[in-house]
Amino acid sequence: MSVQESIKLTIRDSIATIEFDLIGEKVNKLSTPIMARFSELLDELGRGTAQVCILISRKPTVFIAGADIEEIKNLKDTTACMAAVESGQQIINKIEDLDIPIIAAIHGACAGGGCELVLACDYRIASDDKSTRIGLPEVKLGVIPGFGGCVRLPRVVGLEAALDVILAGKLLPASKALKIGLVDEVVAPTLLEKRAHDFARSLIDSKRTQKRKKTYTPSGVVKSLLNSFIGRQVVFSQARKGVVQQSRGHYPAPLEALNVIQRTYGMGNRARALKIEAEGFGRVGPSEVSKNLIHVFYLLEGAKKPPPFVKSSGVEPVEIDSAGVLGAGTMGAGIAQLMATSGLSVRLKDVSAEVVAKGLEAAQSIWANDLKKKRITSYELQRMSSNLTGGMDFNGFGRLKLVIEAIVEDMEVKKKVISETASHMLADCIFATNTSSLSVTEMATAHPHPQRFVGMHFFNPVSKMPLVEVIKGAQTSDATVAGIVQLCKKLGKTGVVVKDSPGFLVNRLLFPWLGECLFMLQEGMAIDKIDRIYTHDFGMPMGPFHLMDEVGIDVCAKVSKVFHQAFGERAAVCELQSKIIETGRLGKKNARGFYVWDKVRKQVDDSVYSDLGLSTPHLTSISNGEVTGRGIYRMINEAALALHEEKIVQSASDIDVAMILGAGFPPFRGGLLRYADSVGSVAIVDQLEMWASKYGARFTPTHPLRNMAKTQRCFTR
Amino acid sequence: MGDAQRDVVIIEGVRTPFAKSGTALKDIHAAELGAISVRELIAKTNLDIHQIDEVIIGNTANPSDTANIARVIALNSAIPLSVPAFCVHRNCASALEAITSAYERIQSGSSNVLIAGGTENMSQLPLLFTQRFANLFGEFAFAKSLTLKLLALKKLRLSDLKPRISIMEGLRDPFSGLMMGDTAELLAREFNIDRNSQDQFALESHQKAVAAQKSGRLDPEIVPVFVAPRFEKIIQKDIGPREEQSIEALKKMKPYFDRRNGTVTVANSCPITDGAASVLMMSRRKAQDLGHKPLARIVSYAFRGLQPERMGLGPVFATAVALKKAHLPMSAIELVELNEAFASQVLACLKAFASDSFAQKELGLSTKVGEIDPKILNVNGGAIALGHPVGATGTRIVLTLAKEMKRRKIKYGLATLCIGGGQGGAIILENEEN
Repeated sequence: MSVQESIKLTIRDSIATIEFDLIGEKVNKLSTPIMARFSELLDELGRGTAQVCILISRKPTVFIAGADIEEIKNLKDTTACMAAVESGQQIINKIEDLDIPIIAAIHGACAGGGCELVLACDYRIASDDKSTRIGLPEVKLGVIPGFGGCVRLPRVVGLEAALDVILAGKLLPASKALKIGLVDEVVAPTLLEKRAHDFARSLIDSKRTQKRKKTYTPSGVVKSLLNSFIGRQVVFSQARKGVVQQSRGHYPAPLEALNVIQRTYGMGNRARALKIEAEGFGRVGPSEVSKNLIHVFYLLEGAKKPPPFVKSSGVEPVEIDSAGVLGAGTMGAGIAQLMATSGLSVRLKDVSAEVVAKGLEAAQSIWANDLKKKRITSYELQRMSSNLTGGMDFNGFGRLKLVIEAIVEDMEVKKKVISETASHMLADCIFATNTSSLSVTEMATAHPHPQRFVGMHFFNPVSKMPLVEVIKGAQTSDATVAGIVQLCKKLGKTGVVVKDSPGFLVNRLLFPWLGECLFMLQEGMAIDKIDRIYTHDFGMPMGPFHLMDEVGIDVCAKVSKVFHQAFGERAAVCELQSKIIETGRLGKKNARGFYVWDKVRKQVDDSVYSDLGLSTPHLTSISNGEVTGRGIYRMINEAALALHEEKIVQSASDIDVAMILGAGFPPFRGGLLRYADSVGSVAIVDQLEMWASKYGARFTPTHPLRNMAKTQRCFTR
Repeated sequence: MGDAQRDVVIIEGVRTPFAKSGTALKDIHAAELGAISVRELIAKTNLDIHQIDEVIIGNTANPSDTANIARVIALNSAIPLSVPAFCVHRNCASALEAITSAYERIQSGSSNVLIAGGTENMSQLPLLFTQRFANLFGEFAFAKSLTLKLLALKKLRLSDLKPRISIMEGLRDPFSGLMMGDTAELLAREFNIDRNSQDQFALESHQKAVAAQKSGRLDPEIVPVFVAPRFEKIIQKDIGPREEQSIEALKKMKPYFDRRNGTVTVANSCPITDGAASVLMMSRRKAQDLGHKPLARIVSYAFRGLQPERMGLGPVFATAVALKKAHLPMSAIELVELNEAFASQVLACLKAFASDSFAQKELGLSTKVGEIDPKILNVNGGAIALGHPVGATGTRIVLTLAKEMKRRKIKYGLATLCIGGGQGGAIILENEEN
């Protein structure tokens, strides 16, 4: 990469233009050499004759995407962190300290360091293109804005709006950026450069080439009140409450950002304010949480690319533009809604008009909510809902590219429906099953073309859950898998390819955890205590008992049985599993589970204990560490087998991506297997062996995990 | 005859249930009703949408928020953006005009695969402001100063706020000034059709429609409407036919148009109705290539004009020409759909069809066009029971005719209707053996 060529300065008729176009890179980013080069150009500009300067990018959809994440990842300690951001701050300061006004012409992503750079400019004009998104997403990588973002953004847009952007790591579209005053003007992308030039010219012509200090001035009574001294304290305390609630203390960056902003807001001394910011960055930058979040960022970016076999096998994935969905229940309706939203022409079929209508209504209510939240317009709603039609017959199935079934989880029923449906379909149509527990390979025998039969396991609720397990049956062709993976992307989901095997990946790893928690309940632990340890201590989005209530206790029992049959004593089922079914508790769906339900989850249903023949739980029988370990280590033990022996997925990354997106495994831990590596295979095996002798064979370390411990190998490196 | 490969065939058709205005379909826009029928037509035929050459839709009310409603329907039916679409308007025969326009394009070879149909939501016909009010509103909106604004406001009179009811304006003949019902009264008098025979005819329309509903005969042409956004209602049957209809109830109705001496009541006329229908049409060659089995072949069609105040006789005028074009006598026709705008109007047509003197005086023929046996007329009920969504009926009667011809395994059938403004339309179909 030629740094010299990547940023260019030209001066014509007193107007300077600095163009960013990193050679050999898809995006513009502020790496150390680029910053150094930029600094040189600013010095050159200071010595020159230009009266106004315009900053512009030549990349099609990126202004400046931010700092180089690779560099942040490699910052090992506080000193290195502070040194890095301080040198960046100095260069950004130069923008502010130049004698001439600088106009940022923003088209495309303007994030993190890019946003901090434009905040130091005098004027900001943005294009109204969809790709234009401006903001400070640093906290999502576990760090805080360090190039003056924490200091400058509140000055430009006011405290409230700045906290809103920084604490949530938001990127704003141009219209929103204009509304809060982050940009001064929004124009069509084709007019952006001309508008910036005309504006520069008008500054020169009207002799307004002095610096402009834009500072936020509140308008209206409410905003003025909030900006007053007391108002600010209210704003800060509210923000703190929100952050603590959201992060449960696992994500230090938003709190650190809040501290920095609170200490620097209104401070006249720039150097001191920036020093405070740098110190804040120095505290979070080297943290394991930040390194894990960066790791997860790379993982998820990698998951957006097609899996390696697609390239190597040279198959051309089929373009899927229409789909039939069998079964208008929760999953079927959700899948139909998702596909219609993404522009597929969708036919939803069920046996009765009433069930079809219910499915259509479920889809409609998701769109109606999106409309209410202004995420879509009424015209988009009309177009999306026009994509979805329902029927009770096979009308329209003869022209579909894909049919996905989401009917009752019963192998015989499914087989019958699959073979009947196949007779109404085009010969080259793909058939997918949304089964979560049945064998895709066996199901495929009911289809005349098993090579075009595949699993497509969506998670509930379909519109929100980002993962799809793409299940490759024994005969499923690469072209079919490639087509489905590509479809997942079109639907805005991440598809992880998993070989057909009991429970596939996510459920297979989740169930040892859920099962173990039943054993711990039996040993006298309290339900809410266990849930709390997993959510508050470990960071799972939902505790195991809460999750079982959501999924349905009957479903859990059924799946546990499947695993027990498949895996024997490694998947031993606690006797409470059948006992709880006998009490008639199904969970959320019949408002009776481990918890009391009244539309939302309430307190633990205390009668559970006596119903299960348990004495009132004594709260501290098992240590917090043992609670998390017994659940999570069993997941790791199973994952080792799935990855290294059965090879149901291609890499450890697949497992980490799937567990984060499908089970909400806490991103700050970097994924299940990265977490395992942080503990170490030796420690895990030792612990498992101890528990195996104490509690039973379900803890016995699997061969691959034992081998890893022997050679002290890691999953992820 | 010409090249059989260029025969124009109807492959399949569907329609929404027809529902009396103000009932189940009242909140569904005409564009959505049309799109429902077109989407279901595509589904039912498993049509490759990339084969469609054009979409032609009849509609009379032209809702102001869907200019060129045909294009809106096509786009909301997932038909490719490149496929053009246009509207046709021939008042009550708009949806027949859609079919005949498609026929011409296919026969000439300029198109091969067309979707034709019609849609109307008469519940949603708007109330309008008077032109005077519109002028004042413009004056007010563009007034540059408060004084000018006040001046404009001052001219406003209470009477300016009285709305124009567009459905009433639409049902009034703009040339003669008569309401459609008035023209039916005129025919009743001209042809001596008394109140009792009109009521009897209306009763039979309901009885035939109810019998057809019960037997399920109409089901194959009807697609369900899932009523968004709550989807609590699923409309699968026409809302119009009344099983409890009786001659006593009909007799009790007061004449609507001529309250003193009239015979035409709202019960022996067709009700204002919402609904949509569409058919898939192809050249025979294309149908063979794509593997679609035709329902019927279009033999001939005709439109003819007559006095606006006698518009109800339109079917007689148009049928005479269509038969001539088809080289067929009336006796060859074994099934007839004659749209029931008014009972008196249908009965007047039957008399005119059977009259030598009418034929000689009005049609320039030497003998009558030919009797229509009431037993083959509107065998599954007509518009008096099923309703008449003006822009959709033309396709509905062709569809109903073609399906019944198939059931009866007969060769030729006629669909014809009268057209407000003084026209008649007629089309002759031949059953396809397959």
